[in-house]
Amino acid sequence: MNELPQQLVNGLLLGSMYGLVAIGYTMVYGIVQLINFAHGEIFMTGAFGALTVWLWLPGGTSMWLALPLMIVGAIIVAVAIAVGAERFAYRPLRTAPRLAPLITAIGLSLALQQAVWAWYPEAKSARTFPQIPGGPFEIGNVTIQTGDIFLVLAAPISMAILAYFVMKTRTGRGMQATAQDPDTAKLMGVNTDRIIVIAFALGAAFAAVGAVAYGLKYGEINFRMGFILGLKAFTAAVLGGIGNIYGAMIGGVVLGVAETLATAYIADIPGMDKFGSQSWADVWAFVLLILVLLFRPQGLLGERVADRA
Amino acid sequence: MRQRSLIAITAALAAGALTLTACGSRDSGDKKDSGDGGGTTVVIGVDAPLTGDLSAMGLGIKNSADLAAKNANKQNLVKGVTFKTEALDDQAQPSAGQQNASKFVSEKEVLGVVGPLNSSVAESMQKVFDDAKLVQVSPANTGPALTQGQDWQTKKVRGYKSYFRTATTDAIQGPFAAQYVFNEAKKKKVFVIDDKKTYGSGLAATFTDEFKKLGGKVVGTEHINPDAKDFSAVATKVKNSGAQVVYYGGEYPQAGPLSKQIKAAGAKIPLVGGDGIKDDTFMKLAGSEATGDLATSVGAPVEDLPSAKQFVADYKAGGYKEEYSAYGGYAYDSAWAIIEAVKKVVDDNGGKLPDDARAKITEAMQGVSFDGVTGKVSFDEFGDATNKQLTVYAVKNGAWVPVKSGTYSG
Amino acid sequence: MSGIGPLEPGEDTHAWDGRPPKAPRPAGRTRTALAAWHRRHRRITFALLAAAVLLAGGGYLHATRPQRPPERPERPRAEVPYPVQVADVTYLDGRTTPADAPPRSFSFAVLLSVTSGPPVTVTRVTQPYAGLSLTTEPQVPFQTKAGSAHKITITMHVTKCGKAPRNAALPFLDVTLRNARAMQVQSFILGPRYAQDLSRSLEVACSNRLR
Repeated sequence: MNELPQQLVNGLLLGSMYGLVAIGYTMVYGIVQLINFAHGEIFMTGAFGALTVWLWLPGGTSMWLALPLMIVGAIIVAVAIAVGAERFAYRPLRTAPRLAPLITAIGLSLALQQAVWAWYPEAKSARTFPQIPGGPFEIGNVTIQTGDIFLVLAAPISMAILAYFVMKTRTGRGMQATAQDPDTAKLMGVNTDRIIVIAFALGAAFAAVGAVAYGLKYGEINFRMGFILGLKAFTAAVLGGIGNIYGAMIGGVVLGVAETLATAYIADIPGMDKFGSQSWADVWAFVLLILVLLFRPQGLLGERVADRA
Repeated sequence: MRQRSLIAITAALAAGALTLTACGSRDSGDKKDSGDGGGTTVVIGVDAPLTGDLSAMGLGIKNSADLAAKNANKQNLVKGVTFKTEALDDQAQPSAGQQNASKFVSEKEVLGVVGPLNSSVAESMQKVFDDAKLVQVSPANTGPALTQGQDWQTKKVRGYKSYFRTATTDAIQGPFAAQYVFNEAKKKKVFVIDDKKTYGSGLAATFTDEFKKLGGKVVGTEHINPDAKDFSAVATKVKNSGAQVVYYGGEYPQAGPLSKQIKAAGAKIPLVGGDGIKDDTFMKLAGSEATGDLATSVGAPVEDLPSAKQFVADYKAGGYKEEYSAYGGYAYDSAWAIIEAVKKVVDDNGGKLPDDARAKITEAMQGVSFDGVTGKVSFDEFGDATNKQLTVYAVKNGAWVPVKSGTYSG
Repeated sequence: MSGIGPLEPGEDTHAWDGRPPKAPRPAGRTRTALAAWHRRHRRITFALLAAAVLLAGGGYLHATRPQRPPERPERPRAEVPYPVQVADVTYLDGRTTPADAPPRSFSFAVLLSVTSGPPVTVTRVTQPYAGLSLTTEPQVPFQTKAGSAHKITITMHVTKCGKAPRNAALPFLDVTLRNARAMQVQSFILGPRYAQDLSRSLEVACSNRLR
């Protein structure tokens, strides 16, 4: 009955994916204080971007050759849509009351979903995603699927790249400055418009990587995949402390592990067998969120809210 | 300036959204028949999930019902009456189903409805139709309670006089699967999973019941969230439970990934399900490891029936884009049953539709009997099909292959 | 430089959002009305253009998506029906067990009817449960013509009480049928009455301590 290591790995993998998408929420929120609800759909378009590249490639192309191209395709599509959304939907509303961009984000989310539904060939039901060939890896009694290998590698690498970018590069520092105080940053010569666009683009790029991981992990993508996953990723961002990029990753992992362990073990607690199945996992995840927010309203790694306002 | 541009953006978004809905309704909307007989027009409503995960089955239902109406017009079966279909999308949601039901009731030309696919949707529609005495024939609902009442196991009571179905119920399907798994596949330990919906949990319950009675052991149960895609935690539990087989009460959008993830977790055991997973999309989602997975489905394989040859040929000739899927033949028969009932009512009334046509048609439905695509079609005192055939299918080389069929003659 | 504090924003001073100030209108007539409109409503133009590009792109995708060519319908052939589609087996009632049957046996009768098509031959009757075996009267194979029915007496013998299905809800018989078209095995689920009779008979057969 020693399934704990396997369940932890399951949760870690699921959580890494949440984390990759959560970065987009947290970066955009950190800089423009906008909850970009369309981010889940940007994630979804990334997946379809990758699929388009795959369908474009001649049949029988090796996955090892195709995968980098698919990632590039996913990133291009997701970034283009995110930057377009920023330019045409959010920027005109930058000085409008907070509610306006929020509603726009929800509208955009629906529009993107419906656009893929209506216009992507055969996207009305799920489309299969190419798979990495080969069997699973066994480490002790823990199994890691071939499809998950990508996630295992991509999540930490993306995180390292992001950390380097934000900490070491000029643009990254400009980003931090804008997040701290946009007006002062502007006065100091930071091109805030550019920074905001970069934040959207970076978030979309990570979501695109997450989308490829999703496709490889589950073998199918559909036009609604961004909705639930976006919601979960947003929860992860809040859990980790919205505005903090490390918080997004930590929050994602905590959420993923919590869901998995709830499915696996709550039913074993006497008297709780009714509340232990997978259909209750989301409930437990949100109970955890509420508990964390009760004691740390700023999230696990977040800054104090007072610093923000 | 700011205000102006805000309005502009909103307008652009709204325009986009409208274009999209227009596109959507073109696909899911009614296909008006050009054949104008000059007489009365009778509309057969079709309610099924035309979009979303279950659309493969829903579109098959819609097209097949449409084919029945067209054939009736071609044969000029009911003199002076032209049949049309109007399809509404319920997205497999009970709330949407109820709205559609109200819409059909409010349209005077609608004299019968084919659908829905999901038992949970049917529950929300039954009363609306029954109050309006509008007949409803479902090609796919398998929940026993729909015809025989909530306490069908002990006391059968028909709840709604206007509800009929051409599909066999889970009261037979679940036990049939249990018998097959226990006796023929020789699996004694099962892990039961369902999606908590009316259809899935009901089917899982009838399966579990019979499996236990036969002497099998349920080594674990689990309920999944139909919105979820990640079943790795459940798959790990299945692997560690030592089960020899997994029974899943639910539909293919979840069953496919579930089967795939269970096998990936290292439990190389078959997944068994009901008619809800018997769609080719299952194999697409479950991947190559699905070989050996089983599904029971109501009715004999349509391709085996001599009466179905004509249907398959007509369907191809009809130029429908989508497959007729698991319920095509049943949807055709459901629509045809409505047409037969209309014919009887019109014939009895001297070639004209009476004023209380809906009530009369509901009454006539009880006596309908004809040789349909799926065999003899008639209804018992509960509104259930009298023809109760079942088939066990197994996945072989990426296709569902019938391995055993049964007839209920109780 | 002391004594001069930071300047505070006063009336009519505001940040330029990083945008360069608008160029003054050129003197004289504007080239066209459209250009003027464009200058004034740059954002609307952008939005409209974006919408147009989106629609065009989407429309292109929609129009050029792969479509299957319509297949030619096959002519349906009139064929002999499959045997299971014309044969039906129903449960009649319990029968007295023949005298020569081994202990722990019981009998019942079923009716096999054939509705249409060529004659159907029953080549085998079995039941799927462990711990039970059966014999039929008349012995298989036998033939039944369309429009007629055959009464079959089935005698079941309990070989292992521990394995027999004491209270199966939907037990069935597997009957192998053959006609000019095909040979098929069909499970006939004989309904609740059969289920009750079967479990009662099993109860009786297994209650005498013979195991």
